[in-house]
Formats: sequence, structure tokens, C-alpha cells
Amino acid sequence: MKLRYPDDGSQLDCELDIPDGTRTVVFGPNGAGKSTLLRLLAGTIGDSPLDATYLPQSTYHFRGTAGWNLGLGLSAEQAARARQLADRLGVGHLLDAKAVSGGERQRLALARTLARPEPWVLLDEPLAALDAQDRMKVARVIVDAIGDRGAVIVTHDQEAAAVLGDHMVVLIDGQVHQSGAVHDVFAQPADGAVAAAVGLGNVLDGTVRVTEGPLCSVQADGATIWGVGDHELGETVRVMFGAETVTMYAGTPPSVGSARNSFIGIVTDVRPIGRFYEVILDAGIPIVAMLTPGSLEALGLEEGVPATAVVKATAVRVVPS
Amino acid sequence: MEFLAGLLSDAVRELFGFGDELRRILFLTLVVAGTATVIGVLVGVPLGAWLALTRHRLRNVVDVLVNAGMGIPPVLAGLLILILLWNDGPLGSLELLFTPTAMIGAQALLAIPIAAGITAGAIRGLGPAANEQLLALRLSGTKARFVAGREALPGVIAAVAAAFGRVVSEVGAVLIVGGNIEGETQVLTTAIVQQARQAHFDSALALGMVLLLIVLLVNIALGRLRAM
Repeated sequence: MKLRYPDDGSQLDCELDIPDGTRTVVFGPNGAGKSTLLRLLAGTIGDSPLDATYLPQSTYHFRGTAGWNLGLGLSAEQAARARQLADRLGVGHLLDAKAVSGGERQRLALARTLARPEPWVLLDEPLAALDAQDRMKVARVIVDAIGDRGAVIVTHDQEAAAVLGDHMVVLIDGQVHQSGAVHDVFAQPADGAVAAAVGLGNVLDGTVRVTEGPLCSVQADGATIWGVGDHELGETVRVMFGAETVTMYAGTPPSVGSARNSFIGIVTDVRPIGRFYEVILDAGIPIVAMLTPGSLEALGLEEGVPATAVVKATAVRVVPS
Repeated sequence: MEFLAGLLSDAVRELFGFGDELRRILFLTLVVAGTATVIGVLVGVPLGAWLALTRHRLRNVVDVLVNAGMGIPPVLAGLLILILLWNDGPLGSLELLFTPTAMIGAQALLAIPIAAGITAGAIRGLGPAANEQLLALRLSGTKARFVAGREALPGVIAAVAAAFGRVVSEVGAVLIVGGNIEGETQVLTTAIVQQARQAHFDSALALGMVLLLIVLLVNIALGRLRAM
């Protein structure tokens, strides 16, 4: 699919790979052209190639009750489905309310958008206005309501991308820099710009073995990783943390601090990424760390050297896979 | 100073002595301006909503016409209706010239662009987020215009007030197509012109006070509606 912003070719000029029946996340920094791209797909600028239901970036609440807003543009049958979705999103009790908060507006608009029957679903930052503790719950409802329809979801948030998408397009300055499975893009950014935008490097799939307050421990291949997330025991999850959150030690660390995760292994690769260096440690699982040239030199890290990677559990996000 | 004070007291006396004649003038003024405003709003508000929301290729042309119409001199609107209704004119057979119906037509012509222009401005003023959401709702044209107009209700009420203010206070259009016939097509503004020309300043001033009072009352009423 080729898209071009009609008035200004320089802002957005790209070819998109949006597989039918998958949820494609368009990921990128602010100003990358994500919302423009979604507006083109929705047909609110130009003529859309898709028949789509669309959630704009800033949800607008018309004067009147939440229930009136919820039913706008819907048939009786669709409105009933919208009320069901509103219940599941925790705003079903607000239908008679005239004043609602930003997060509540977002959920109402989501319920209305998802209740429509169009074969494509377009969502612009659907989790943006929500509290951290509700995001995963809302994300599950979204994925469920999209069903087997095709979807394009714009976000600048890694967690939202991982939970909502299975395919991912990285958009930077109106250009597609990378396109592929979400896991692959997070684990292997195609270039420095993608690495800077995506900011992760460490993505692992595993199973929840222990839960403890806000934390859970995930078994992934040969390693156990502690991270933040509310999950059931035995649930299949994805573990993500940024390469920049990893602290490296030469050899083994002198003592154990508050960090829950420490991985002992051998450096297998050191390569420059922009002004920094990416160090890969083989600790049963591959750990990617981002280091400054100064740190790299001070630690004497190079291929074949034993080292330890330490990550605080609070820097590790555990999301449903 | 003495002249002014005398004039004012005479005017107030006139006000209570007008009797049936003033009542007739007042009634016709309210009927003509009121009906013209209603027509202007019924046509102008949906037109304005269409103008604000449409991507039709004719919208720029209509936009220019509405903007020009907002500033059209009343005498020109009157002249246009006069030519249409003239004996040999295209609508001459209706024999409507110098009737209240003709006056309503001429004033409606003035009210429509005002109502349309202010409504369009109010809906555009809702901002890009409202506009994007309206498009995203994929409403039918009529429903979209209704939702937009409902959202911009304070602006639409301002459009009603402006349309009424324009027609009730204009003199050129009603004078040309109505003819200012006493007891038949005389309204407040044309009566003021007549009284002033005959140097009956006290009567003219009294009529002026009534006109001012009408404009004031209508605006207070619409202002209250807006605040609700």
C-alpha cells in the first residue's frame, strides 16, 4: 500500500506493509507522521483505500451525556455492543454522566469505535490517556474486540506496541525504517534510528513461575528474570527491557545490590550503534547492553571476556504475549 | 439643552399616546422581522453547517457568496426583490409588491447569509479535534450537521441574534419593496424615517425607543438561552 500526504510530499511518503487480518502497530517518535498516516487510512484527509472504524488521537466528547456520546453514529444493535464494551472497559456505569475525565472519554470513544462492524480497525494511541494499572486490561479488551479483523494501531509506547500488535512498522520522519514481527523489531532494530526510537534491545518470551506483589518471575530459556506485571502463574508472557537499563560489570559483580536480575556470561559481540556501543552477553539467554565508549574502555569489554549484566526488576516490563 | 429635554418628554408622551397606530406598526415589525429571521435561520443554519463540514468542490464559491451576502447593503437586497416582483418581472404575476410578504422575502435574503456565516464560523471554531471526531463517526450529512450545530449551539444562538438584529433595524429593503404605506406596510424603521423627514422628532424618537427596546429584549432572551 502506498501512501502520500496530499499537500506536502515531504512529510509522509511511504510504502506500507499491512498484512490483512493482523494487528499492525505503527511505531515511531512524536512528529514521525503516524497520525497523518492513520488519517489517510481513515479517509479524514484524502480518500481512504480502507473501509474502517477509526479512533482519532484526541478523543472529543460532545456536549451531552456519556451515553449519548457512546451511541453516536451507531445502530441500535451496535449501540448495545458499545454498552457491553463500555462495561468491560469500566465505564458502563457512567452513561448518565455529563462530565467525564480524560481517561473515561478515551474508554467511551474506544467502546464506540470498537462496536462498529467495519472490516478494518484504526486506533490512534488507544492507551495514551489511561492509568498504568488499567492499560493491560483495556489492551485485552481491544485485542478481543478487534477479533480477526485487520487493524492499524499507532503508538509511541513499547508496552502498548508489544501487547496490541503482532506486526510492526517503525515510522521515522515520514519514512518506514523497519517492518516485521513485533518481537523481531524490538530485538533486532534495523538501524540506529530504529534502535533510538524503539529503545529496547531485550525481548524474551517465557512463562510466569512466581508472583510477588507487583513483580513476577519469568522463566525464559535458561534464565529467570524478575519484572513488573500482574499475571497468572503459568501465563505465557513477553519480557522487555531497554539495552540502556543494563549495567555491565567486568567478571562478576563485587556484591549483590537491590537489583533482582544479574546474568553472568561471556561477551559475544561488541558493535558501535551511533555514538554508543552495543554489547551482547551470552548468559544462557542473550542480553543486550548499551555502553558509552568510556565505559567500554574502562571495563575492557571485548569478545570472549567474562562479564555480568545487572538489571533492576523495575526496569523490566512483563506483558501478555 | 432645553430643546433636547423637551424632545425627550414629548417622546415619552408620544409613546403612551400612539395607541392603535403604534400597536399596528409594532405588530407588523415583529411579524416581518420575526418571520424573516425564522426563514433565515431555517435556511442559513443548515447551510452554514454544510459549509463548515463539506468537502464539496462548490464550497469555496458558496463561502464567497455567504461572506459577500453578510455585507450586502439592504437597499440592494430590496432592489433585487423589487425587480423580481415588478409587474413585468419574472414573479410579477404573484402581485406581491408592496405587501408584507415581499418585505419578509427581502429581509430573509439579508438574514440567510448572516445566519449561515456565523453558524459556519462557530462550527469551524470547534477545532480540529471535534472536526476529526465528526468525520470518524461517519454520520450521514444531515446527522453530522445536526451534531455539529448542537455542539456549536452558543454560536448558532448568536447567529439567530445577529440575523434578527440585522433585519429589524434595516430600512432600505422594507422601504423599497414595502413602500412604507401607512397602516399596511409601515414598520418601525420606515416610520422613523417618515417622522424624521417631517421634523416630528418627538414621534421619531419615541419609535426609536421602541425599536431599541425590542432589540434589547430579544438579545436578553437569547443571551439567557445561551447561558443555559
